Amino acid sequence: MFSNNGDSSLLEREPKFRDITCSLRSVNKLPGAVLKETEQLVATARRFNDEVVRPQALELDRMKHEDPDYLPWDLVEEANRWGFYSMFIPKLFGGHGMNMPGLSYVLEEIGSGCTAISNLIGVHYLGVATLCGSWNTRLMNKIMRETAEGEKTGKPCLISLAITEPGAGTDTEEVDLVARAKVTCHAEKVPGGYRLNGRKIFISNGHLSTWHMTIAYADLENPAETTVMLAVKTGMDGFSFGRQEHKMGQKGCPASELIFEDCFVPDELICFDAAQAARYSRSMTQITAQLLDYVLSASRAGVGAFGTGVARGAYEEALRFAQETEIGGKLLINHEWAQCLLAEMYKNVALARLSYIETNYANGMYGLFKLLHYKPLFYYMKYLPQSIIDKYLEPLMNLDVTTWFFRKLYFDWQKDEEYQRTSGWASMSKFSGTDAGVKNSQLALELMGGAGVRTDQMAEKHLRDSKLLQIYEGTNQLNRLNVFKCLIGRSAPQARLFED
Amino acid sequence: MKSLMNSQLGMFEETVLDFASKELVDNRQDNDRFPFGPLFEEVLRKARAVGFFSVTLPEELEGCDMGTTELCVLLENLCRSDASLAAVIFTDTMAKEIVYRARGFLQLKELLPKVSEYDGTLLACQALVDATQAIGLSAKPERAADTFSLSGKADYVVLGGIARNAVLAARTGGEEYSFFLVDLAGDGITKSEPVRSLGLHACPAVDISMESARGALVGTEGEGAAYLERVAGRMNAAAAAMSVGVMKGSFEEAVSYARERQQGGREIVNWSEVRRMLARMAVKVKAADMVVTEACRTAEDNLPSWELGAKTAALFAGEASVELTTDGIQVLGGNGYMEDYGQEKRFRDAAQIRCLMGLAPMRELYLMGKVLEGEPLY
Repeated sequence: MFSNNGDSSLLEREPKFRDITCSLRSVNKLPGAVLKETEQLVATARRFNDEVVRPQALELDRMKHEDPDYLPWDLVEEANRWGFYSMFIPKLFGGHGMNMPGLSYVLEEIGSGCTAISNLIGVHYLGVATLCGSWNTRLMNKIMRETAEGEKTGKPCLISLAITEPGAGTDTEEVDLVARAKVTCHAEKVPGGYRLNGRKIFISNGHLSTWHMTIAYADLENPAETTVMLAVKTGMDGFSFGRQEHKMGQKGCPASELIFEDCFVPDELICFDAAQAARYSRSMTQITAQLLDYVLSASRAGVGAFGTGVARGAYEEALRFAQETEIGGKLLINHEWAQCLLAEMYKNVALARLSYIETNYANGMYGLFKLLHYKPLFYYMKYLPQSIIDKYLEPLMNLDVTTWFFRKLYFDWQKDEEYQRTSGWASMSKFSGTDAGVKNSQLALELMGGAGVRTDQMAEKHLRDSKLLQIYEGTNQLNRLNVFKCLIGRSAPQARLFED
Repeated sequence: MKSLMNSQLGMFEETVLDFASKELVDNRQDNDRFPFGPLFEEVLRKARAVGFFSVTLPEELEGCDMGTTELCVLLENLCRSDASLAAVIFTDTMAKEIVYRARGFLQLKELLPKVSEYDGTLLACQALVDATQAIGLSAKPERAADTFSLSGKADYVVLGGIARNAVLAARTGGEEYSFFLVDLAGDGITKSEPVRSLGLHACPAVDISMESARGALVGTEGEGAAYLERVAGRMNAAAAAMSVGVMKGSFEEAVSYARERQQGGREIVNWSEVRRMLARMAVKVKAADMVVTEACRTAEDNLPSWELGAKTAALFAGEASVELTTDGIQVLGGNGYMEDYGQEKRFRDAAQIRCLMGLAPMRELYLMGKVLEGEPLY
């Protein structure tokens, strides 16, 4: 009676069984040490919140409000001392090698104290993910080891992603749209490298980063097929910083303008371009889409975690206020309506968290860090002494064949269904978490009233901080379209995307 | 409000729009930097000169004898450009209305025509706190008639840092409270630095501590709640009009941007999801506008329970404006989040305006209580 013998097609119906059971299928495959590591990570993040984030969050916001050009170097150096910038870099590349899903838990924890500070850490991993998504192992080895070295020397080495342009925001995150976009960041092929010209805007952590994973286009009329990813280092000739944006919130994390004027980027700093793509079976446009999907599937889970964090921060402030404020002769927490409102906020946090957890299960099986979750490899890397890794494995990363192998594995051998699952879940996590962040911030103000608009009560800061999350890493509208594309439209033969 | 317009009101609206475009729009971003930039004192002087303060008071009290509709037209049209000046006028009007409705004509007459500077004529009050929230001041009678000694804390006194006088609530014993007119330059008063807040930065507030400070009783002792109720209809309509003004500003900016900005090879207004977001904004702003118009119409005709309608208008428009201004940023994407376009300010101001007249859920419960007591809702 309880059998699916001979009728596996039932499980292929939408929603596909594999799409809705990522956690169920992951649990047994996951190394047991992941739980222990995650415990350590959450405890560390909570201690960081107590000692660094909460004491400084409001002051950081105030300083940036007073002086829009202020840069929070002290905080970045403090986070560097705590090891946050190397914490999730694999040991193979000199980092601490903590499990990648743990990053989302850390970002939620720190985000519950201050989204801007959570961004100062989390956005660095957007740069890391972009670098890793190219699977240029030689450059991964070079740049991520600089970050690890920066932790030892006390000089932070952050990595940013530079993709948004003045005339193209949403367009740059979707290959179907970029084909029609007005892009201006031009990478012209010249002997020995590329000459880069143009501007990037809204680059989180731009002014604070040493390396900038820069997306440009060799042919501005045909950007989808000519994407070039370059590693640009602060201080290179022809590269400079423009203004910092004057943002409503997340003030502690700068949004920078990056200016390229005849900036020569040598071949050894080209992460990925059409020439490199030519060795693989899919088209340049398809590989670019795959690369973006690997990166965004990881980073959107992180943004979902930011949203979960700010939703939780708003909830915690509302709860504190309800416990200490008397209205109409009794504590607010004893008003039934307030209890239901707090329960609604708690639910928003819990469901947002579940969505980034499920996304990370999908990523662990099919996405950017699938190899790291393979049990034998996980334990091998965890317990192999760093000196052995550095002596025997590190040199392998500089071989062309290593890059070739990883690209074969990640680009040529990836099935459509796999990217649909990771990308679809990541988009759901992104807009669920960030919508929860804004919603809870608004509910906190609803519960706190006039007291909630005071900056010293934190809730208004959470509201200002939360709104950006619905916009960056693909607007929530674009992410909804991505869910349609990945998980819905594939079963509707009539469906056409971006043909409104 | 179009259906209420006559030639006189139309001229008034044009005056307000003209003032807003000349005095508020260009410096909106700079004015919003307070307390990290200067207060827009010149604007306040000009606003007083054209008679925007005390508009609802009689002419003997520096006023224009205007009604609820004119007050709403004034505040709404200022809010389309910048809500801070409207919030200054709202606060001042609320304080003055409380005194005036408590038969405080003589108190106001003694206070207002004497002064030449704007800060002397402005009255501060706790515009974001309602009677259901704890009042932090207690008052003891002194020997002189109607003079009390006030001690305790008054949080978030809007305009408390710039106005010479404030109208503050305090308890004289039991549960009931009374209003007092307090000279903020008097002895026993300590003011905090300006309280930083979400929005309405150019309408600043301070926390005030009092140690045996002098306050003149407004009206009759213990009647504070009754006086607040007398002004509640008009001030709720005014708060609703402010929400509508911010919504109109946000909607207009979003439409204008969506017509120009291109993504995916076409203007974003031509992508149906963006157009639907704009449509939902249009529905909200139009519906809120109709609700406020109806509140004003019933107020002018003094129809039974018009105050209840005004309260529903403030609750409805407050909630709608928070939702609309959130989308107002979203349509502009990253640009909407930056100070350059004014959308982020509208988002902040809308959320703060929603807090005028007190905690929204408690106002809802109070409203429903009235309905259950038999007051006609429609």
